[in-house]
Amino acid sequence: MNKHNRPPLLFQHFLSWFCHEDYFEELQGDLEEKFYERVKSKGISKARWAYRKEVVKLFRPSVFKKIQFRYSNNTNMFKNYTLVAYRNLLRNKLFSTINIIGLAISMAVGLLAITFVSEIRSYDKFHEKADRIYRVFNNRTVVGKEPQAYASTSLLTGIKLKEEATSFDIIVPIYNGFNGNVKKDQNLFKLKGQFVGEDFFKLFSFPLLYGNPETALQEPNTTVLTEEFAMKIFSRKDVVGEVLEWGPYQFTITGVMQQPPGTSHIKFDAVASLKTYEIREDRSRLFNDWSVMWTSYVYVHLNTNASLEQAQADLDRLAEKENAKTEFQQINPGLEALTDIFPGDGKYNQIDTVMPKKNIDQIVILALIVLFSACFNYANLSVARSMKRAKEVGIRKVVGAKKASLFVQFISESIFVSLLALFIAFLLFKLIKPEFISLNLYTERTTTLNLTATNYLYFILFAVLIGVVSGVIPALLMTKLKTVNVLKGISGTRSHKGLNIRKVMIGLQFAFSMTFAILVILIQKQYHQALNFDLGYNTEDVVNITLSGKDTKLLQAEIAKVPGVKTISTSYFVNSTGVLNSDWAKIEENSDSVTIYNNWVNTDYLDNMGHQLLAGVNFDKDGPSDQMIVNEKLIEKYDLKSATEAVGKRVYFYDKYWTIVGVVKDFHYGTVYNELNPFAYLYDTSKEMYYMNVKIETSDILKTMAGMERAWKTVNPKNKFEAEYYSDSIKRMYTDLSSSMKTFGMLAIVAISISVLGLLGMAVFTAESRIKELTIRKVLGANVLNLLTLLSKSFLVIFIIAVVISIPISLQLFKSQIASNIEYQIQIGFWELSSGALLVLIIAFFTIGSQSIKAAKTNPAESLRND
Amino acid sequence: MKGTNLGEFQELVLLTIGVLYPEAYGVGIKEEILSKTGRKVTLSTVHAALNRLEKKNLITSDFGEATKMRGGKRKRYFTITAFGIKTLNETRAQRDLLWNAIPEQVFQVNWQL
Repeated sequence: MNKHNRPPLLFQHFLSWFCHEDYFEELQGDLEEKFYERVKSKGISKARWAYRKEVVKLFRPSVFKKIQFRYSNNTNMFKNYTLVAYRNLLRNKLFSTINIIGLAISMAVGLLAITFVSEIRSYDKFHEKADRIYRVFNNRTVVGKEPQAYASTSLLTGIKLKEEATSFDIIVPIYNGFNGNVKKDQNLFKLKGQFVGEDFFKLFSFPLLYGNPETALQEPNTTVLTEEFAMKIFSRKDVVGEVLEWGPYQFTITGVMQQPPGTSHIKFDAVASLKTYEIREDRSRLFNDWSVMWTSYVYVHLNTNASLEQAQADLDRLAEKENAKTEFQQINPGLEALTDIFPGDGKYNQIDTVMPKKNIDQIVILALIVLFSACFNYANLSVARSMKRAKEVGIRKVVGAKKASLFVQFISESIFVSLLALFIAFLLFKLIKPEFISLNLYTERTTTLNLTATNYLYFILFAVLIGVVSGVIPALLMTKLKTVNVLKGISGTRSHKGLNIRKVMIGLQFAFSMTFAILVILIQKQYHQALNFDLGYNTEDVVNITLSGKDTKLLQAEIAKVPGVKTISTSYFVNSTGVLNSDWAKIEENSDSVTIYNNWVNTDYLDNMGHQLLAGVNFDKDGPSDQMIVNEKLIEKYDLKSATEAVGKRVYFYDKYWTIVGVVKDFHYGTVYNELNPFAYLYDTSKEMYYMNVKIETSDILKTMAGMERAWKTVNPKNKFEAEYYSDSIKRMYTDLSSSMKTFGMLAIVAISISVLGLLGMAVFTAESRIKELTIRKVLGANVLNLLTLLSKSFLVIFIIAVVISIPISLQLFKSQIASNIEYQIQIGFWELSSGALLVLIIAFFTIGSQSIKAAKTNPAESLRND
Repeated sequence: MKGTNLGEFQELVLLTIGVLYPEAYGVGIKEEILSKTGRKVTLSTVHAALNRLEKKNLITSDFGEATKMRGGKRKRYFTITAFGIKTLNETRAQRDLLWNAIPEQVFQVNWQL
């Protein structure tokens, strides 16, 4: 019988798919009988067609398979599942606590990540026109250097675009400089804001409570306040028409806007009309120079019928024209979408703090690691405990539970646990939220972690997801149990295959924990070293006062009178706090140009700071304003034989000649991130000094500080007295380090507690399942120590592997991520690396030990009497 | 009473089952109807009718031996139940009653036509 002698195969399958089992055999028989008869009488192809027709006609409800509904007692079963889950939690209190707390800790981290990411992602989405708003950014290439991307652009760009480009219908230039203080009835209010183009409110969705958004910023010297700022100054919101003083200028309030959401990348207390500056002669360079692009921004709205390419072409045309005018740099503007600004890709000169994308990825990855650990713990403990529940599974199967319903049971049980954990996680989240926000500069300035309704929804979905993820492996294992084996009491559940995976996972967890712990210790060391770095001069007991410009001499005289003040000097900026100044310099006889870093100081500075003169003399107070004191590196750079030889040499620097009068010992004018280079102190009486360095020797620091503040007020009643300890200024420089220390510290705590919880569970399980062996050993004379060794032996290998993995990884992470640009790195020795790992190991062994001792101390009769 | 009322085609099938006794099965019934009445019916129609009759307990079925002719599939043989016989009788009695109630003239008129 060849293939074509048969009824069409497809239709046979179709029939068997839909036909009820009771009818199938009969019908198929009938069809085939008829088919072969037709083959004889009418030929094969007609027979096949007839067969197809018949099958199609049989496709009717009376022939269909019955769809069976298996869970007719759904609600009852779910009730039962919840009850059993609850009883199980109560029965194994220790395990339940471990599970719930472990999950809760990691879920708190997860909740943080969710809130954080959703807040960051919502930035600038509230603008109605957000999808067509772009910001012009500049790619600036100085001849011979790499191009750099700036978020800012020149105001000229905005003006030219308005005149020439056709792709934009709204163009809003912004000049970032409405800062400082505003005055109202002798009260000063700190202000942060921008000068903006008149279409500001047309482009951005900042609704006005009072005032006309279309005309509010048309006139010079007009300003629109935010709701909160208006309340702060006037204690009411309806303040249109009031006048504020800003420096020598008077601004009329023309509007009050609804408090802008925190998720705007432009942040302000008030905006003022850019017209204010446009009409001022002295500011004309701001508006007509293509290269003045440092604090101004241009936002545009794309025409409905203009494409991005057209818009870019407009910009390119403009750039070509303007770049032709200069030789030393090329500025190429581009467009970036409003919603792409935050989080940012690292452009310079952002209008306000912009969170780098990198930070977000890091936080998400770390949260995932922690979550993964906790899910694994849950799975691990549940599987380990599955023996205890095998009987339940067996009975359920006998009574008629299908695999699917058992699966549902165990999954819903883990969801139940994770919902419980969510509750605790939420409390933990509230607790660590402020810590997280103060983690670093970026989070502090850009995130509030306020919860929205969507967040709560995400939380619940998240908990369910965690429940499913952590429950799926135990659920699968449980449903696979063979009923007969279980009920007979044969333990088929101790799968040795699973044990290896478990060991690997525990090893991984410990590797993570150790990595974090080692990193914390390394960073802490580095931070400590940075703070206590031997700078080569003395910063102890020095308070730096920020000067406001005028009457420095008078102020110095006043402050010198304060009891406790020892010596006073002034400087242009404060060394070793990250501020650097430099220029190209040439020494007379030598044609090579060298970069020299510098600071301007007065004659008392070197003595005050304890600098050590190697040759020459200190600045002469009555000498000319061209005196220079250099460091040893400069001598090296110019191949001079000795420090003495350098004295008297003339150096061309900052467009004039200076004479070297002295040489100081090398010191760290920069931070640990900078290597030492040639440096010079300059003496120039015409240079304005911004800092007063006051050395204090007192037993009552508060009194001295108060005295200095009083002295300040007599000279300078209007301005605020700002003073800071030198060491605090240095500390502020290293917030990067201290914030990564905090991040990894937090993670280390979380990771260690989760892995220790997991380990505790495993230790309890091991001890419990070997309790008979242990007691027999005990009866035969083993002591606690023997038993402890026995139990920890299997874990020991895991720990050794974890140590071996974590040390190189943390070393690598430290070198590449944290200390990559640190010039003066710490010496990393045995103890730096091993102490973190050791700490984790000690905690781990303590965990195992406590369980082993417990097992070893039980009365043998307790565990053996049943046999 | 719904169960006792037979449709026209169902009655035909029921009667054919009686005719073919004891070897009434799907294809057989179909052929018999074709030869006796000239009506061309599909298997699915027959099957549907058989299905309904069985649900009404008018017929019962049994599987026979497997035959090579049908690719090894067994035939399903249908027989009329006692209730089926009773229903057939009732139907017939109803018909007869009606037949007898038709006046003579009706037949004469038709005959003249």
